[in-house]
Amino acid sequence: MSVALLGGAALAKIAFDRGESLNAIWFVIAAVCCYLVAYRLYSAFLAARLLALDDTRATPSERNDDGRDFVPTSKWVLFGHHFAAIAGPGPLVGPTLAAQFGYLPGTLWLIAGAAFAGCVQDFIILFCSIRRDGKSIGQMAREEVSKRGGFIAQLAVLAIMVILLGVVALVVVNALKSSPWATFTLAMTIPIALLVGVYLRFVRPGRVLEASLMGVGLILFVVVAGQWVADSPSWARVFTLGGVPLAFAIIVYAFAASALPVWLLLAPRDYLSAFIKAGAIFALAAGILFVRPHVLMPPLTRFIDGSGPVFAGKIFPFCFITIACGAISGFHSLISSGTTPKMILRESHARFIGYGAMLLESFVGVMAMVAACAMTPGVYFAINSPPSIVGATPDAAAATISGWGFPLTAQTMTGLAHAVGEQTLWNRAGGAPSLAVGMAQIFSNTIGGERLLSIWYHFAIMFEALFILTVLDAGTRVGRFMVQELGGRVWKPFGRTGWMPSVILSSAIIVGMWGYFLYQGVVDPLGGINSLWPLFGISNQLLAAVALVVATTILLKMGRTRWIWVTLLPMAWLVIITMTASYQKIFDANPRIGFLAYANALAAQMAAGKIPAAKLVDTQRLIFNQRLDAAVTAVLALMVIVLIVEALVQWYVILSSRRASALHESPYVQTQWAEGYSGIAQGDD
Amino acid sequence: MERAARNVRRFARRFWRGLREWCGDAAYERYLRSLASRRCETRALTAEEFYVEQLTRRYSRPNRCC
Repeated sequence: MSVALLGGAALAKIAFDRGESLNAIWFVIAAVCCYLVAYRLYSAFLAARLLALDDTRATPSERNDDGRDFVPTSKWVLFGHHFAAIAGPGPLVGPTLAAQFGYLPGTLWLIAGAAFAGCVQDFIILFCSIRRDGKSIGQMAREEVSKRGGFIAQLAVLAIMVILLGVVALVVVNALKSSPWATFTLAMTIPIALLVGVYLRFVRPGRVLEASLMGVGLILFVVVAGQWVADSPSWARVFTLGGVPLAFAIIVYAFAASALPVWLLLAPRDYLSAFIKAGAIFALAAGILFVRPHVLMPPLTRFIDGSGPVFAGKIFPFCFITIACGAISGFHSLISSGTTPKMILRESHARFIGYGAMLLESFVGVMAMVAACAMTPGVYFAINSPPSIVGATPDAAAATISGWGFPLTAQTMTGLAHAVGEQTLWNRAGGAPSLAVGMAQIFSNTIGGERLLSIWYHFAIMFEALFILTVLDAGTRVGRFMVQELGGRVWKPFGRTGWMPSVILSSAIIVGMWGYFLYQGVVDPLGGINSLWPLFGISNQLLAAVALVVATTILLKMGRTRWIWVTLLPMAWLVIITMTASYQKIFDANPRIGFLAYANALAAQMAAGKIPAAKLVDTQRLIFNQRLDAAVTAVLALMVIVLIVEALVQWYVILSSRRASALHESPYVQTQWAEGYSGIAQGDD
Repeated sequence: MERAARNVRRFARRFWRGLREWCGDAAYERYLRSLASRRCETRALTAEEFYVEQLTRRYSRPNRCC
């Protein structure tokens, strides 16, 4: 009760405080108290009443224990695995971008969305997969909803993967653009990963811990060494790259990582990224608690009306679309129905792992929101706004931003760029640089002061870019398998995952698909993020709606009609926000929001002869890209509508008792493990 | 005092074991244990074979999220 009261008081302070600034500690108290109450009450209700978790039932890891895929694992270790798998760049970048609406709407959605939607989705899909021997969301959709539903889910996964990879690659490009220090540091992680890969394969096979610690040490060294490169005119020139060359470099890298043996580059980079990710997130939490920074962004900004410079669109639905992963992520359903259910020891652990890990991810999102809002709002908008909105010169941009009520001078930005070791911080949309500035300010107030600001900034950039690249190369490889599987249906040899021509062709196809989105984002005069991040948010949230449709169908088949609102309400909410956002992104008359309106505006300018001859080809490409984005959005929305119609038919059949609903659960087998068995190896205390 | 020291040692041991399990250091030992408990006739993979096979399987499905 006291935790609930404290949480309520902290939320009230955040919501109603109108002082000059608010201490970030209130965000931590509000979030942690809400999470504790949600976990203690709501997740317990889900576990006991809705799902009736049964610890006497043997889990897939017990029945199929093979020491490879099905491995009984301690719940703390599996929590770590699951969290490392679900926590990507989304909960860091999304809240940072959504900070343009002010701190309040994003923070409230991060907390409430996680408790009532994101955690529920992860927990229930994990439970459903455990009861089905670890089947994937696509397989469950096929069996429990319909064959067409399963195919749609599979296509939706591939589509979201392509958009996701294009968008996160754009975030990296914008973070590295014109930054020799950051580019050098990230480039050096490739030979370090190769070194770790060779060590793990030939020197000490499987000794991940020692190899990773060695690799992390080298990475920290190259973060510092990047300063020497940036200070050397000849080396700095080599590593100072524009957006387009960086985009092509990342495309080539991802192709190589997808086609090369996995032990050589992809896996070692993943190990390094996991260690650095865990360390940086822990350090950020500790830093916020130690420094207790003041949040300088107002609770609500004028941009809730849809005129935001970072991305256009009103608070509804774009705040929810932008936050995405920090509150609910459809992609999590792939992890919850992937590795985790095959390793879980007891059904009751699903609550801690499924619901608990998502709460922690939401907390990461709250910390990112704090880091973004703790910097001067003028600086935040200067970093994240494209020149086409604020003005091409520093003085013009500073005047525009000051005119919005966020005082800023060009000298402030020059001084800040110098302090963090960058040439410029203007026009670095994507969330990563502004988050890095926020993190660096928190870290440098904890250790080192102003002197280490530049090191901390580049550490933060390296941390973000490293694990975004991990998502990129792992995602490209998985996308390659999906393309091979789909291609294999047409021509069998193409489906052979070890056949080199198929490997190269499928890698090229998947890289070409997301690379196209990346390229269009890089050359987009509105900054790319304005059109691509909402597209990513829409596709991600649509996938979450797909997962909740599957969960609702299974619950109905289980006879849990009374509690069906648990999944039905978040599903309905997601359908409303994604369909509204899709409609607006396609048809809105404002060219900054609607893809078609932008394409038509450009076409009208061309027809009127207002476009210089040298830019005609670029403009034609831009028009095509906007129409392509509109088509992609429409197809995604249509796929989900078809799936919902399929599910509605199923629900009608179940509820009208016209046919006995077949639940495709694995048969009950009693566990042979003693009550206290923890999954920890023999020889423990 | 002695009890506290014992608890600290026990916690440290558990933490170390958990860390090795989390990062995959203990995967091969676990595989051998699983094989022995099932009394399989099949030849056990070497540490190197197991490492490569395990990675190939792990990275053929979504294992990193956005």
